[in-house]
Amino acid sequence: MTAVTHDRTTTGVSKETRAKITWSLLDIVVVVFALVPVLWIASLSFKTPATLSDGNFIPREWTLENYRVIFSTDQFVRALINSIGIALIATAVAVVLGTMAAYAVARLDFPGKGLLVGVSLLIAMFPQVSLVSPLFDIERRLGLFDTWPGLILPYITFALPLAIYTLSAFFKQIPWDLEKAAKMDGATQAQAFRRVIAPLAAPGVFTTAILVFIFCWNDFLFAMSLTSTEQSRTVPVALSFFTGESQFEDPTGAISAAAVVITIPIILFVLFFQRRIVSGLTNGAVKG
Amino acid sequence: MTTIDAGPAVKGRARTLTPLWLLLPAAAVLLPLFVYPIYQLGLLSVLDFRQAQVSGGQPTRFIGLDNYTDLMSAPRFWSVLWATVLFAAALVLVTLAVGAALAVLLTKVSRWAAYTLSLAAMAAWAAPAMTGSTVWMFLFDTNLGLVNRVLGWEGHNWTYERLDAFALVGAVVVWHSFPFVMVTLYAGIKALPEQVLEAAQLDGANPWQSFWRVTVPMLRPIIAIVVIQSIIWDFKIFTQIYVMTNGGGIAGQNLTLNVYAYQQAFASSEYGLGSAIGVVMMLILLAVTLVYLRLLRRSGEPL
Repeated sequence: MTAVTHDRTTTGVSKETRAKITWSLLDIVVVVFALVPVLWIASLSFKTPATLSDGNFIPREWTLENYRVIFSTDQFVRALINSIGIALIATAVAVVLGTMAAYAVARLDFPGKGLLVGVSLLIAMFPQVSLVSPLFDIERRLGLFDTWPGLILPYITFALPLAIYTLSAFFKQIPWDLEKAAKMDGATQAQAFRRVIAPLAAPGVFTTAILVFIFCWNDFLFAMSLTSTEQSRTVPVALSFFTGESQFEDPTGAISAAAVVITIPIILFVLFFQRRIVSGLTNGAVKG
Repeated sequence: MTTIDAGPAVKGRARTLTPLWLLLPAAAVLLPLFVYPIYQLGLLSVLDFRQAQVSGGQPTRFIGLDNYTDLMSAPRFWSVLWATVLFAAALVLVTLAVGAALAVLLTKVSRWAAYTLSLAAMAAWAAPAMTGSTVWMFLFDTNLGLVNRVLGWEGHNWTYERLDAFALVGAVVVWHSFPFVMVTLYAGIKALPEQVLEAAQLDGANPWQSFWRVTVPMLRPIIAIVVIQSIIWDFKIFTQIYVMTNGGGIAGQNLTLNVYAYQQAFASSEYGLGSAIGVVMMLILLAVTLVYLRLLRRSGEPL
């Protein structure tokens, strides 16, 4: 690279710099395109009703009123509790069972291994909408309709295969021979696992948990068709009920605040674990 | 299975049992949770199952393939199927073009700029579909939206015309899905041997040429995977259409199979018909996924 630059004449260098500037400008444009919607809704959520539609990017009058309103309604608080509880439980179950299965896939040889990963992928790709009618019917008969388990179970159905698939890709990269080496150095099986393997596997498990949590947290389809009251309705669905109701004069501010609240955890995940999430997503496609 | 009572556990045999115990919990959860609803889906699709049957007022009745023949003879089904295919195809193309262009862009800018871009993109990717749909709806609001204000088109309704509405929903979907394509292709480009691109540059290839002649051919397996993942993703778009066009647009002009199935089942209480659409959906995506699995296997990914 350096050799090339040295050989170039000054005009060549400036051309390179100009290209660099063009690329960087494009970069900024895309960053703005990606971020504006998120920032815009954050801005709306801090505006007073009077300045809501003034088109200013930065609110002229800041207010926390919208947040106070949503947090003072059962409708939202209850939905937030539902969202957190349901997503956490589904994630925990999917990650624990997924870790066990992925360990078997990555470490052990057994007949039908290829089939297992294939089936996981098949389920992960399955159109959720196809299961909505049958699940509605089944859950009504079993008394699961409009309950926490009524949402947790379908989430696990789709999150577990996703976890198995993602974790298998992670676990395949772990240098398992280290375990053997530790045992040769006198560590017991349990010590070898705890001191050597667990720290190596933890990032993959953690990343998978984030991906699975995002899936459960963002779901709208199941949450809308398998719930009917505040008892189990999650925030994305509660949000769609904000409109049309006369509880708020103009629901825009309240909706914006609620949308910000459900987006905050997601943004935090991305902010802190961006590299891990990306590696979790690309692991299956890109080897390396 | 019989090894359990085969006297003192021989080490080798104990080891062959381990996978079973590790896989059993996942299988025990997945099989009933997945297989039973699919069985139920097939069953509902051959039943006369509407509001009256849900409330128990009337007995369910086996009607064979009537739901399917009804569906096949409905002009709406065919127009929705077409719309779904065209919409998904357009989305895949745009997402891929945007994602690929940005993956290349990431290789050209400074590390800091690349990091910022991928951070912003991942935020868009991970944002709930509901948040995305809501914000874009506010941005494109007929009277109060920022976009109409900037363009000076106040009063312009973005969801009135069929194509406008599809384009608006499409923009949101691309906003949500380009980051995946971008980061995957970028990871692929970074994994390429550096000398290859340098050699192309030394040979006088401009960025455009080296992209099409070097990067694309070498990334073919990853591109195939990204394309199929996008097809599957874009075929299943639900939230954005449902929320932004209020359940499928004016007179159902923006319905796709996904929303159509939901609408038949839940809005019209035609659960049998909705299930038949669900079966059609399932078969289409099954075919795409099988192609995907074959590609994975061919690209050497050990399954």
